[in-house]
Amino acid sequence: METRPLGETGHDSTVMTFGTIALNWLEQEGANQMVELVLDHGVNHFDVAPTYGDAELKLGPKLRQYRDDIFLGCKTQERGYEGTKRKMEASLDRLGVDTIDLYQVHGLEYEEELDRITADDGALEAMREAKADGVIDHIGLTSHGNPQLILDAIDRIDDLETLMFPLNPVVAGKDDEDHDYQAVLDRANEEGIGTLVIKAFAKGPWPSTDDLPERDRPYANWYEPVDTPEETRERFDFAASQDVTTVVNAGDPKLVAMILDAASRYDGMDEAAQRSLVESARHDDSPVPEQLHH
Amino acid sequence: MDVPRTVTAALADRPVDGATCLEAGAGVGKTTAGLLADGADRVYAITNDAEHARTVRERVGRDHADRVAVLDADLVATPLDTDSVEIVTAHGLCNVLPPATLDEVLEELTRIAAPGCHLVVDDYEPLPEDAAMRDLFAVENAARELADGRPALTFYPATTLRRLLGGHGWEFDRERTLLDPVPWTANHVAAHANAARASARPLPDALGDPLLAEIDRLVTAIDEESTGTMYSLAFRLPG
Repeated sequence: METRPLGETGHDSTVMTFGTIALNWLEQEGANQMVELVLDHGVNHFDVAPTYGDAELKLGPKLRQYRDDIFLGCKTQERGYEGTKRKMEASLDRLGVDTIDLYQVHGLEYEEELDRITADDGALEAMREAKADGVIDHIGLTSHGNPQLILDAIDRIDDLETLMFPLNPVVAGKDDEDHDYQAVLDRANEEGIGTLVIKAFAKGPWPSTDDLPERDRPYANWYEPVDTPEETRERFDFAASQDVTTVVNAGDPKLVAMILDAASRYDGMDEAAQRSLVESARHDDSPVPEQLHH
Repeated sequence: MDVPRTVTAALADRPVDGATCLEAGAGVGKTTAGLLADGADRVYAITNDAEHARTVRERVGRDHADRVAVLDADLVATPLDTDSVEIVTAHGLCNVLPPATLDEVLEELTRIAAPGCHLVVDDYEPLPEDAAMRDLFAVENAARELADGRPALTFYPATTLRRLLGGHGWEFDRERTLLDPVPWTANHVAAHANAARASARPLPDALGDPLLAEIDRLVTAIDEESTGTMYSLAFRLPG
């Protein structure tokens, strides 16, 4: 599988990152098999979080077996110094390893949170200490939030090494500031920050619970994913061709093999095909029904 | 309004910043929005459809009143001065013009264009023979021919437009593919089906009813289809 430099971390990540939340819905034996499958495809970057059910515990055995082959990303939703230290130790304990390669502030949403993590007693201070102690190697941030907030974070965190954010043809077709993740990507590349894409496989929100009760949804994702081999490949190719480092799989374990296949076969996507996907999503989403043309 | 990537890609290598521009066949104003976003000094958005003109004024013109003039005019005889614009765009225009009208429109656009003017023509190659959308367009054309004596749509190959514009004195600059394949979404299918129905309904029942039934059948059968290509041609007037 193709690899790309993860910013200036010195690590070359595979173009697909294994989002290990998928392990949460598997028994241990199935989880072990999935990690083997992912490694068989050559994936070398894994991402986990303590909030992914018991994914840390289920990843542990195979992670320890193949520790040298896996670049391990983990995250915390804590925003303060003490909480971050505590959660980092808990993750190390649950994973059963001594070090984490990339530790990320998880799910930044509000300006106040940015103030909190950058304060003297904030999460970043704990991460910097852990980095100095050799417990973690790199510091990152993840967000589904406002692109302007992420740009502010880049400005305010000088030692930020990776960013994880959403990108797909639906988002790319919107010009407003709330969807301008392209600006985030451009800025990250200028600054030498590695980029991980999430929501690459999101088709849209689930139908209302009146039409489809939550218990009847066929996938564990909180959005409705694309789920045919063709759509999956198109979405992977689109995301991977946006000058990003790596694309994280959709969380449902039933989709992982299809995404692995797409990632293994990735060979670029020309611009006309990229525009076709953006146009298709834009018209599906359009409130203007009278358009005859593209 | 969101500027489609087709428009962004077509304008990317044109000197729009500071230019006086004309969007020929403004539709709902997509290219006008793109020209403004790229820094056009002034955009004349011309359409002969009063509803489209209103839409462009509401969506684009209101926020850029000093830079946009929406003209409800026939493209074969516009009120613009000779040699008055520096960039002309025709995004998805040619396919709604029958051959004779196309030639008249190109004559008028050439009159308005200043020496050195850039022309961008974006349109669709004829659809592949096995495309289901081709059947819908055929029914749309049949209904329109019976109703008005002219086709609704004519898909000109890029090579045809290159030769035609060469005859009007335009020098070919470049061609690029905007969409491959072209995503004809459920919205597009519905819009073309509605246009076909509007032509078929006033026809005598013996003619209209089979066409309406075929339109309904095709809408159900197609749903959506990605097929064919959309191209962008760029030309320059000597000078």
